[in-house]
Amino acid sequence: MFRLAALFAAAMLYGQDGATRENWPHYGGQTNAWRYSALEQVNASNVNRLVPVWSFQTGDADGGLQATPIVVDGVMYLSSSHNRIFAIDAATGRELWSYYFALPKGFTIFYGPWNRGVAVADGRVFFGTLDNHVVALDARTGRELWKVNVEDAAQCGCNITAAPLVVKGKVIVGVTGGDSAHRGYINAFDSKTGRRLWRFWTIPGPGEPGHDSWTGDSWKFGGGAVWMTGSYDANLNLTYWSVGNPAADFWGGNRKGNNLYTDSVVALDLDTGKLKWHFQQVPHDVWDWDTAYENVLLDLPVAGVPRKLLLNVNKGGYTFVVDRTNGAFVAAWPLVKNLNWITGVGPKGELLGRNEPVVGKSKIICPSIGGGRSWNQGAWSPRTGLFYSTGIEWCEDVVAVPETPKEGQVYFGGTFKLTHKPLKGEAGGHLGAYDPISGKRAWQYEYKYPLLASVLATAGDIVFTGDADGFFFALDARTGKKLWNYQTGSGHRGGSITYTVNGRQYIATPSGWGSAVAGLLPQIWPETEKLRGGSAVFVFALPELGK
Amino acid sequence: MRLLLPLLVLPHMLAQQPSLGTSASVARGDKLFAQGCAVGYCHGAGGSAARSPRLRGRTFDRDYLLKVIRNGIPNTAMPAWGDRLTDTDIDDIADYIQSLATAPAAVMGNSAAESPSAVPAEKSAEAPEEHRQGRDLFFDAAKEARCAVCHRLDGFGASIGPDVTKVTAIAVSDAVQVLRYGRPRTVRTIILHDGDRFPGIVLDRTSAASRIFDLTSNPPVLRNLLASEIQSIQRQTNWRHGSAVRGYAPEELQAIWDYIRFVAGKK
Repeated sequence: MFRLAALFAAAMLYGQDGATRENWPHYGGQTNAWRYSALEQVNASNVNRLVPVWSFQTGDADGGLQATPIVVDGVMYLSSSHNRIFAIDAATGRELWSYYFALPKGFTIFYGPWNRGVAVADGRVFFGTLDNHVVALDARTGRELWKVNVEDAAQCGCNITAAPLVVKGKVIVGVTGGDSAHRGYINAFDSKTGRRLWRFWTIPGPGEPGHDSWTGDSWKFGGGAVWMTGSYDANLNLTYWSVGNPAADFWGGNRKGNNLYTDSVVALDLDTGKLKWHFQQVPHDVWDWDTAYENVLLDLPVAGVPRKLLLNVNKGGYTFVVDRTNGAFVAAWPLVKNLNWITGVGPKGELLGRNEPVVGKSKIICPSIGGGRSWNQGAWSPRTGLFYSTGIEWCEDVVAVPETPKEGQVYFGGTFKLTHKPLKGEAGGHLGAYDPISGKRAWQYEYKYPLLASVLATAGDIVFTGDADGFFFALDARTGKKLWNYQTGSGHRGGSITYTVNGRQYIATPSGWGSAVAGLLPQIWPETEKLRGGSAVFVFALPELGK
Repeated sequence: MRLLLPLLVLPHMLAQQPSLGTSASVARGDKLFAQGCAVGYCHGAGGSAARSPRLRGRTFDRDYLLKVIRNGIPNTAMPAWGDRLTDTDIDDIADYIQSLATAPAAVMGNSAAESPSAVPAEKSAEAPEEHRQGRDLFFDAAKEARCAVCHRLDGFGASIGPDVTKVTAIAVSDAVQVLRYGRPRTVRTIILHDGDRFPGIVLDRTSAASRIFDLTSNPPVLRNLLASEIQSIQRQTNWRHGSAVRGYAPEELQAIWDYIRFVAGKK
């Protein structure tokens, strides 16, 4: 009984630390990236009574709607493709203001037109742009306050699609460009003035530790993009970011060495940007296995000892758990069964049995370049003790091709095509519930295509996500049983959230099929070419009593 | 509207018989395609669709193909190849794409496996050998403070400082001195009511607000300040151009200057 009480107290404590309540203030919920809300007005017993209360059309369906909305004090802040920003009354759906970022005339967009979200703090809205600016708007009016051109997009072949992380007056954001001849970085800007406070190069320069993990000039063009949003631990004052693949993606012949800090989680001092520790998941990556996704901060016992942990799923389909105070390896487990680029992970976190692409020769690699999971985030529920994550079963034929880097140009080092059938079973997607340390699976929900939307978990013991066909749905967090669904008319690629206005709980989901990975699907499933695009937010709540 | 362009054009791709080209041109186009078009975010091996539209199993009007390859599609991920490929290259790629018209959409060849050797990227006309160093220094991404952060030249860089090709009055022998110690006339001291004070370049100013480049940090920030926030804008400034070029040695500045003069002469 005592033990149960202690567990309950711990859960409450975690809830207070890491759960969202009336607001959804950060990209990942709170800065620990749980995507978990303590709200329970909507729960497993009544979720089947959810009804739509409003929807909002952005008017730009190109590339779908990939953002996670932010809600602060009854106002929802949303970004669509082409850097359109909207402030919306979160109870009624009424538009309060909009801001359309103007791209230079004739500008060529790299990668795609999408944007994955804004950050809101100190009465300002922050976002990155397709031409590599960071912009601040007045949250009340949408008036532009400052913008800074981080690096000329035409020269770097890079841009910003991730939502920034804003804490303690610092706007922190990375950059895309990991498949171009480019050198990645993470920048921190002063939220009030836009002045740059620090920069962390993801590839060390001459004289810096780790520089010798690159040969010749390869460090100048070695990728290391930081294209998702980082986390923050206020007690340790560390901000955690994951660094993407080295370039060229499939060929490493001119970048011999471990290629630090690509495919690594880096812990930086918030105030200085100085590296506190790093953990490299994939030394000398030749598969395009970005370690680019969310860093989930968890406090859990390991072998009876309480630990401060960091969980990170990579594109290769492996989940790594490390100690977030020092980067020490704790555990690793696979999310998917189709995984043949290694045979496993050793006791120190080292990769075993590497199976690398070959120059000029086709080789089957699993998962495919789309990832054992895509960037859409998982969710952690302290109530169930489970980490909820999607996974994808698919493989590809890869041929490595030697390539000469040219600054800012695509630098891929190979070609790929998806194979019709993976090595094991059928191609498809799933959403699973896992023990975060052992990877032991409690249940799995299967779907014919990859699931590409982020997951939301709540204290109502429900998990929400959406599928390619347009269904937004709720599963029982403990059993995986489907409890409710709603057809939004277009597939799901964004992040659903929950919040309250005047005590009423709302569940909001972006709807709008698109993105680079969605574009890969027709190689296996030709009919998915016909899936309709869209770009709207749908908001649900329980019917109001007496109405 | 512009966003719909590719979709609007596709149904209109005239269903004329593709001119299939010679087997040599198709083979050469295949190789070029594998190198530049099949990669990563683009059209996939054999045009089977990766992260850009599928080309395999589709019929395209040849003029449309040539135009799109040459000019790209603005505001999309399709780049213009006209400045990177020769007319023959573009013709060969079009031949190859048209040869895919009768290929089944879902059955993919493995063109890369058949042509594994890399086609060396053609050098675009950037700068002749004697100005290569100056160009590299002007745009050196590894330098925190580099010319291109503020100056636009030859199609790259930001337009914060003046057009450097128009700076002609400096005698060659003084160039390095001016770059190191000059005080550009456009820089002002901006003083805000909240006590903030910074060197800035005023971009535009109305009675309501001013857009001012704040030069405090690198890269400069374009701040949109309400008239009510600004206490004064003063001509007196401690800012010197030397702070922006501190990462360059004198002989490097000379090489940069020579490159600027070279570009100015091309105009």
